Amino acid sequence: MTDQADQSRRNFLYVAAGGMGAVAAGAAVVPFVASMMPAADTLAAAKTEFDVGTVEPGQLVVIQWQGKPVFVVHRTEALLKQVDGHDEMLKDPNSEAIPEVQAEWMDTPEKRKYRAIKPEYLIVVASCTHLGCIPLFKPTPGRKDWGDSVPEDWPGGWHCPCHGSLYDISARVIKGSPAPHNLHVMPYKYLSDTKVVIG
Amino acid sequence: MLEKLMQTRLFKWLDERSGAEAIIKSQLTEYPVPKNLNYMWNFGSLALLVLTIQILTGIFLAMFYKPSAALTYGGYTVAFDSVERIMRDVNFGWLIRYMHAVGASSFFVVVYLHIARGLYYGSYKGPRELLWIIGVVILLIMQGAAFFGYLLPWGQMSFWGATVITNLFGALPVVGEFLQQLLRGGFSVGDPTLNRFFSLHYLFPLLLAAIVGGHIHALHVVHSNNPEGIDIDKKDTIPFHPYYTVKDAFGVGVFLTIYCYIVFFNPQMGGYFIEVDNYTPANNLQTPPHIAPVWYLTPWYTILRSFESKLLGVLAMGASLAILFFLPWLDRSKVRSSRYRPVYRQMVILFFICVIVLGYCGHSAPTPTLKLVGQIATGYYFLFFFALLVLPKFEKTKPLPDRV
Amino acid sequence: MKLKSILFAGLMAASLVAVGPAQASEGHGVELKHAKVDTTDREQLRRGLTVFTEVCMGCHSAKYVTYKNLMDYPELALSREEVDELRGDKPLTAGLITDLSPEDAEVSYGKVPPDLSVMANARRGGADYIYSILTGFEHDPEGKIPDGNYNLYFPGNRIAMPDPLSWLDHDEADTEMLEQQAQDVAAFLAFIADPHQNERRALGFWVVGFLIVLTIVLYLLKKAVWADVKH
Repeated sequence: MTDQADQSRRNFLYVAAGGMGAVAAGAAVVPFVASMMPAADTLAAAKTEFDVGTVEPGQLVVIQWQGKPVFVVHRTEALLKQVDGHDEMLKDPNSEAIPEVQAEWMDTPEKRKYRAIKPEYLIVVASCTHLGCIPLFKPTPGRKDWGDSVPEDWPGGWHCPCHGSLYDISARVIKGSPAPHNLHVMPYKYLSDTKVVIG
Repeated sequence: MLEKLMQTRLFKWLDERSGAEAIIKSQLTEYPVPKNLNYMWNFGSLALLVLTIQILTGIFLAMFYKPSAALTYGGYTVAFDSVERIMRDVNFGWLIRYMHAVGASSFFVVVYLHIARGLYYGSYKGPRELLWIIGVVILLIMQGAAFFGYLLPWGQMSFWGATVITNLFGALPVVGEFLQQLLRGGFSVGDPTLNRFFSLHYLFPLLLAAIVGGHIHALHVVHSNNPEGIDIDKKDTIPFHPYYTVKDAFGVGVFLTIYCYIVFFNPQMGGYFIEVDNYTPANNLQTPPHIAPVWYLTPWYTILRSFESKLLGVLAMGASLAILFFLPWLDRSKVRSSRYRPVYRQMVILFFICVIVLGYCGHSAPTPTLKLVGQIATGYYFLFFFALLVLPKFEKTKPLPDRV
Repeated sequence: MKLKSILFAGLMAASLVAVGPAQASEGHGVELKHAKVDTTDREQLRRGLTVFTEVCMGCHSAKYVTYKNLMDYPELALSREEVDELRGDKPLTAGLITDLSPEDAEVSYGKVPPDLSVMANARRGGADYIYSILTGFEHDPEGKIPDGNYNLYFPGNRIAMPDPLSWLDHDEADTEMLEQQAQDVAAFLAFIADPHQNERRALGFWVVGFLIVLTIVLYLLKKAVWADVKH
């Protein structure tokens, strides 16, 4: 009888100690895993401020945001016109396939087309959505400047050198490209007329 | 619980391919341990625990630490900056670093008590000579690993500690300068030294892990000594599991409580675990007013300082560690435990006090009185070992019991 | 059992004896003044920050503390506006770095003022030492060291830092205010030397508490398992 009582007491203590030990071990894992996540100084550098006024009309600038390349294009009137007239060539003309290609401020068909808060300044992540290469900027339409690296009816935009993906001047992917989606947009807002903060 | 686990099909599958059941039986559930071990026998498992903590926290610290003495703003260096980044920006970096720093000191507390246990109960005597020798190798590698690690934050104590100790090697005749440059990779302690010390600081614990495996293997061949120091009758043994697993687990609980109290509430331990001067970046043009190694190396530092001649000091320090290897043959008494050796018991207790006195002297700024005290303690340190040679001739040991 | 306890008592007593005088002998002969600092007191830390930016930062830096840290550390929790005012056109991620160049400092004071990020850890006495130094400027009783360079608490008494709070010959009525400023900045420096210290202690309370309970359970388990072993 007492033997049995002892036995059950012992079993209870085994379970209690084992349970608490497991909790302790689990808790001890937390700081180690957490330490591998981005540190405070890395997070502090997660926002980039940039003055788009420094980009000349028609020019493309690649800046860094969170260690990734970002395109900033100052689109002239002529370049903005190149956005229209080839919707049937695009996989996702209205940028709605996945969350990464749209933003809260894309609230009109106009903005979905230009993919920019201010149409003249396009700001997108410069990584091809296929495998992450940086596409080449080939803004003029047709093959005149680019040879047969682009199709005959090239509307002007980007050509990825790795696997030949094509994007138009709003960074929307053209049908037949290996890339599945338009170039991603990242959160950004204007602090003043030309100052933007990205991230 | 273990029994139930061993009934599962998964375990059966594993057993057929690894012989797991035989290992578990011979090493745990049927491994015989004397039933009369006291709590001084807990420090072996605790040392294994601390080694694990050190390796784990060390691997994570190495993800953030940068071994470079390149200068940055304000007289700091890339290495110092990376340590401060760990303390400030890395998630829980402060916890991991304090665990590592307090762990270093804890390792020595635990291992010194483990050695003291061995000395007091004669665990170094036959048939456990090899077990003891492997243990001394572990001690030396630990001291090396701790010394390499202390350079890494590249503070004033790091720099001057490394300078002083690499100079010791320079005192040796003929090979001195060669050894010194080999260690430093330059003409003084500098960037190349820091880089190689980091590499060695990562290597040594891995060596330790392997050698600790050998230590445990050697133990399981000759089995544990016990407080009576007599050979144990089979009837007086109990299986390691569950008896000593739960006893060791209780020891782990006590240890972790104290360890975590220090980590969370007093990680610098008033300058004993992390020295105050190590928060000043290394400066090769200015020595701190008072320089002493971390507490666990101070006894040997006193032995070094007790001699007028630099070479003699270095040799004495080396001898004080090397002599431990020969202990099983210096002490020829057939009786192991101090319980039955009245004279040895007085001698070994005095030896413990003497090591503590040596540690105190090494930690304090040198004064003529302390120097004399240190010399007397150094003298006794060596006298202890040589007196063991003649001790059995006149020590009247008490009669040993047949059973515990 | 008896031998063991004697051995233990001996070791403990000896180590206590060893630790006691070792710590006492590390002072500079003069006992430091005790600073009333509380690194969880937001008001004191903010007052200390003000003293730091308005007085200390004339010459010293705290490069490991960024402007953004001043917002993010809950102990300080400055607003974005307050930080913007402090930093001017310096980036949010910049450290608190003085405008005095090291070269100019060397010319003016003979040495480069040390960075204060970890100063509270780098001196024996920590906050007490900082407080004592700031309120330790006196006239050299021997008249050798010029006024402003004599400090009662500085090792060797000759300090390169000129009396930052104008403690020497201050108006009797200002004593309390100056002492408060010195303690506030000592609190701030003690905080930034180890900015996760309050988080650490709060977490430690739970960790140690949990371990004590676990240890008690393990003790009971040990006793229960060993109940059938006869000694």
